[in-house]
Formats: sequence, structure tokens, C-alpha cells
Amino acid sequence: MNVMGIIFANDASIGDLTDKRTMASLPFGGRYRLVDFHLSNMAAAGIRHVGIISRHSYQSLMNHIGSGEEWGLTLEEGGLEFLTPFAMSTSASYRGKLENLYFAMDFLEYGPEDEYVVMTDSAIISNLDLNAVIDSHVASGKDITVVTKAGIANGSKQLDLALKLDDSGEICDMAVDYVAPEGYLASMDTFVLSKKLLMHKVKEFCARNLFHMDRDLVLGSWQKGELSVNVVQFDGVAMYNESIEEYFRNSLALIDKDVRHDIFHGNHNVYTKVRDRVPSYYGEECDIEDCIVADGCFLEGEAENCVLFRQVTLEEGAEVENCVIMNDCVIGAGSELEYVILDKNVTVRPGSKLHGTPFAPIIIKRGETV
Amino acid sequence: MYFQKKRCIAMLLAGGQGSRLKVLTEKTAKPAVPFGGKYRIIDFPLSNCVNSGIDTVGILTQYQPLELNEYIGNGQPWGLNKTHSCAQVLPPYERHDKKSGWYKGTANAIYQNIDFIDRFDPEYVVILSGDHIYKMDYAAMVEFHERNEASVTIAVRNVPLAEASRFGILNTNPDNTIYEFEEKPAKPKSTNASMGIYVFNWKVLKEALIADEEDPKSSNDFGKNIIPNLLNAGHKMMAYNFDGYWKDVGTIDSLWEANMELLGKNPEFDIRGDERTKISARNDAHPSSYIDGDAKIINAFVAEGCEVYGTVRHSIISVGCKIGEGAQIEDSVVMPGVVIEPGAIVRHAILGENSKVCRNAVVGGAFGPEDKKLISVTSKGAVVEENSVLAPGDML
Repeated sequence: MNVMGIIFANDASIGDLTDKRTMASLPFGGRYRLVDFHLSNMAAAGIRHVGIISRHSYQSLMNHIGSGEEWGLTLEEGGLEFLTPFAMSTSASYRGKLENLYFAMDFLEYGPEDEYVVMTDSAIISNLDLNAVIDSHVASGKDITVVTKAGIANGSKQLDLALKLDDSGEICDMAVDYVAPEGYLASMDTFVLSKKLLMHKVKEFCARNLFHMDRDLVLGSWQKGELSVNVVQFDGVAMYNESIEEYFRNSLALIDKDVRHDIFHGNHNVYTKVRDRVPSYYGEECDIEDCIVADGCFLEGEAENCVLFRQVTLEEGAEVENCVIMNDCVIGAGSELEYVILDKNVTVRPGSKLHGTPFAPIIIKRGETV
Repeated sequence: MYFQKKRCIAMLLAGGQGSRLKVLTEKTAKPAVPFGGKYRIIDFPLSNCVNSGIDTVGILTQYQPLELNEYIGNGQPWGLNKTHSCAQVLPPYERHDKKSGWYKGTANAIYQNIDFIDRFDPEYVVILSGDHIYKMDYAAMVEFHERNEASVTIAVRNVPLAEASRFGILNTNPDNTIYEFEEKPAKPKSTNASMGIYVFNWKVLKEALIADEEDPKSSNDFGKNIIPNLLNAGHKMMAYNFDGYWKDVGTIDSLWEANMELLGKNPEFDIRGDERTKISARNDAHPSSYIDGDAKIINAFVAEGCEVYGTVRHSIISVGCKIGEGAQIEDSVVMPGVVIEPGAIVRHAILGENSKVCRNAVVGGAFGPEDKKLISVTSKGAVVEENSVLAPGDML
């Protein structure tokens, strides 16, 4: 079966960390970026034609993905395409995913042999068997399939798209931007539908000045009985990175063995851009406990319950607890960090003290010195 | 097909068996033996080539080539997969005139690939071997060769007099021209040992290879035949001094030592280094490592994809290893994919790829600083059974 993939790179943002990068290129888990999980899901399902739609700040994303060869998708074969915005007479900026797709129509038309389209957003990551989702879509005979996760709705988190099933497994309620109570399923922002239908609907909705995927295409069409909706419930780990707090919690959740194995090896391995670094060096005095450690680190201090990205230097006597430390950070001797996210290339001067909280970790922006 | 003319290309002799590495090279060619947590020996000469601006490398393989060929692949990890660059694996092959078959010696291996070299019409050919751990700028050596208008330049280093008879020794004039070459002399006249790194004018080498092939008594070897023949024929031959770190890792002891020399805050050989001398390797898709709350890691390298629950001291832990609770690893080289189960003790050992040390097994022993260290070795995929012992110096 020929399937095309579309990844939305920056439909969401989480403040400082996505100031200068897309959600898709947000670093995660020591050596990954969020888009790696989506690209790996698609590559593992044999999808060889992937479009990445980005609206802004996509430099880091393009740099990361390059030709796509790490995921078996290469530009030469037309396998991977960046669908970046261009100036339009009709509007200053895209108003929603449907409008994004409208301006990516050439790309959709490009692979005439592709029958189905898998669309996914960047913020929610999982190790998902997309072939199973596509099979379910085809078997259901319905118009659109939405992948969902139980247990996310908790009465306080606002969901982009929430669905409730009745006892017979049919959808009995659907809501957009809804603080759903427990028992609702949360959309993982991953959809499957036929390409023909998608192209048709995108043209139709844009002509009617409707641009919102969840609200207009899914909810609106379902309410009017214009589209039938198939629901797939994913039973693996799904990480919703829709706020700093969630991103922080999900990062540290990797320390749990089951979570880590599910997200990195559940259905397939996760691929990322290779950055050749030496193995990490652990010094005479270091004390590293319950940490995720990438390559190239030079560790002489103490770290507990942390994610240490590539090439982090932890000097003697530095104490770091419950932190996410991105690439190339240097944490000076004798400094103390607790509940802190250091973006890439941050230097913490010796003896500094930074204390955040689990719900409001301190964020130091890329390249800063504190 | 169009081949761009190259000023300089490299030929890497990677066909040797490396029999002194014993069980480690039973199923793997020496250049493919893992080193330093995530590398293989061949990464060092290959990366040196790239860092020296040499973008065309012929790799001569013969012994157990499968793993080595897979590893080199299209040369992408070293950036040798571009339009006008290549890492070309050159296995022996059959030819209509029967002047082919297995590579009879190092010189014969190059002889059989004259056509490959001629495609690039190079001025200079650098001959390398896949047996050594070092970082070297070959461009500086080629520069030296060109400046001295030599036919051949040989990289040399000073070795202790006691060890000199193990090497090819070059006797030089004060201006570094070579007047005599002695292969493993019983009474060495100097301590200038050949590193097996040569720069040749391709025209000179090609003629010498053809002449050598016609001599039925020749062993078709660079050290034994080509170099002495060219010297006797009056070609200008220069010695190029190199005093950086350089280690032959042809034996179990030296392989273990070279790995240990990576350790420490100021190691004898710093693989960290800067971008210009970076050693590249083929990387698998491993997630970052997990270090448990009960783990203790002191003066060690741990590569990606590991899960460490036990204690690691003064050791190299390669990609994708698992070290169970209460296990103790000391003074050891743990190659990729090794599993060490809870309670196992490993000291002064080299654990081969994907080997396994089961619960409470003991591998190797402790030695005083002055003692000769007997290194225990497990071969690829070997299993040290539960509660069993692999004595110091033993191999499995």
C-alpha cells in the first residue's frame, strides 16, 4: 500500500524552548529531537514520501534532518520534502493546518501512486506502529481515522481534540480545545485518510474560509454526518509535550525503564541525525545516579535524576538534580542546579545556584551564561 | 564514468588476519576489531585520511571481510560517499591472465589494484595499514615528500633500542634521507622504526610493483622487497619523523593497553580532541545510556545504548552493553553488545562483542602494579556460564 506522510513542524509552541526553533526540532532524550520519533514511525512503516510543513523558525529543523538519509528518506529520491511557507497574496500567514495543506497541494499531487495520507503533529511522541493504524483504517471502511490515547484526559489538561466512545465503541461525543474529564480519549494528533478525500476536503474547506483541522474537518464534518470517524486507541507510551511542565516531566520519565524501552524500542528503533561524539567520560570523583547520558559528556561532578545531552561538561563539585541539560552546556565547579532546563550551549559559572520547582523549572535560554 | 584527477589518494591494507589477537580475530578482520567504546581500528586511518583532505581511499580486504565490508559500506560515516570521493573496498579477484587470486603480500595487493589507482591519475599514493591507533596529518607528510622531491617517504618514530629489532629500521643521514633499510635487524644501527606509512610517487611505485611481480623469488612485500629495491635503485627516500601517540594494537596486551591509555583526565591518547582531528565511526541507532542510582562509574568511558546498574572502574564500556546490579568491572575493555549479569566480576579482561558473563561468574584477576597483567578474553558471542570462572590470561 502506498502511503504518504505529513508532519506539521510547528503547530504548537511551549515558550522559551520553541522561541527560535520548531516544536519538531525540540531536543529530547539526550540525543533526539521530537521529529525523530515521527520520522522513525513513518520510516518503520515503509512510508517513503514524507512532507514536513513548517511555518517559521525552521532553520534548526532543516539542519537536523538534512537529506533524511538517517531515516532512509532522501531528498534525491523525492522521499523527503520541506514545505516551507512562501509569500502569498491571499494572507499574511497560514491560519490553520488545512490552509497549510492547501498550499502544499503540489506535494500532495506529486506522488500519484500514494493512496493514503498519514498526518501527524510534532508535540506528541510515541513509538507507534503506523501500519497497524493504516490497516485499521482500511478495515473500518470509515473516512478518517484518529489515533487516540486513554488516560490523558484528567479534568485539567486542555485537549486539542477529545473523543468519548459509548459501550459499543462508537463515538458519542467529540470536542475541540476541551478540558475533558477522565474517560475521554485524547487525540494524538495523528490521522489517516485517503489522499483523494483529503485533497478534496482541503479545497472545499479553504474555499469556505475554514482552516482548522480538528474543529472544521474532523469535528464539524462528524457532527454534520459528512465524514465517518474511526478511532484507534494506542496502548503504548504517548508523551504530550504541550507545555514546559509536560516536556520536563516527560524528559525525566525516561529514567523509568519501562517508559524508556517503550518509547525507544516499543515497535522499532528511533533514528536521529548522527553526531559523531566520543563516548562519555566519567571522572574519578563523579557520582551519576538515575540519569540518561548521551555521548561526549565529560563528567566530574554529581548528577541525579537528570537527562544529560551530548557533550555536557559537569565540573568537579557541581551538583545537578532533576534537570534537563541540553548539548554543549558547561556546568561550572561547585554550582548547584535543581529543576532547571538548560537549553543548548549554556554556561553556568562556577558556584552558581539555580533552584526551580517541578511545575515551574527554571529555563536558561540557548547560549546564555549565568 | 568520469573520474576526477586526484593529487593524492590512499590505499589502506586491511586484509591481514591479525592472528596475534587470537579469539578476537577468529571471525573478524583486525581492522574491524572494536576499539575505544564506539570505534573500530580502521576508523583511525580512515578518519586521518579525511582529516588530511584525502577523499579517495581504496581498502584492500582479504581475511574475514564480511563485517569489515558492512562496516565501511558506502563510506558515509567518514563523508567518503560524495560525487568525487570514495571508500572503495577492493577484494582479491580473478583475472584472465591468472596474475591474480589471493593477495600474496602487501605489494601484490596494490599491484592487483593498479587499475583502480590509475583511474584517478594521482601524483602521490599513501600506503596505510589498519593496525594502528594514532592521529596523523598525512597532508603534512605529503607536503614534506613534495618539498624534498623524494620518490618515497616513510613515516618513522623513535623506539627504545631494545624493541628496535621488532621493526623495519631506517638508517638516515642528518638531512633525513634514508641510506639503508633493515627489516627486523638483529643488531639495529638506529632506533628509527618504520610505521608502515608510505608516500610514493605513483609513477615510481607502479614501475616497482610491475618489476616486483615479475620476480618469482619476491615475497611481494613493501618492507622486504619494494622499499629495499627502490633504495638500491638510487631513488631518493626520506624519513618523516612523527612523535605523536602511535600504538600497534596487534596483540591482546597492546590492544588492552591502548584502550587503557584513553582513560584519565589527561590521557596518553586523547580521543576527545578537536573537530579537525575527530575520529568518526559508523553509529547504530542507540538511545542515550541509562545510569542507575546504584551504579558507580569511576574513571571510565561509557558509550551510548548502555544500561549500567553495577560498578565500573578504569574501563571502557562500548555501545549497547548491559551491566547488572552488583556486577563489578575493573581494568577491562567491554566491547559492543556485551551483557554482564548481576553479581559477575570482570577484571583485566577484554570481553568480545556480544559475549555474555552470567550471574556471579568471575573473569580475570587482580595484579600488582609491577606484575605482568594476564588479560582474559572472551570471543564474539561467547558465554561465561553462571558461577563459573575464566582464569587470568584464559580465553574463551
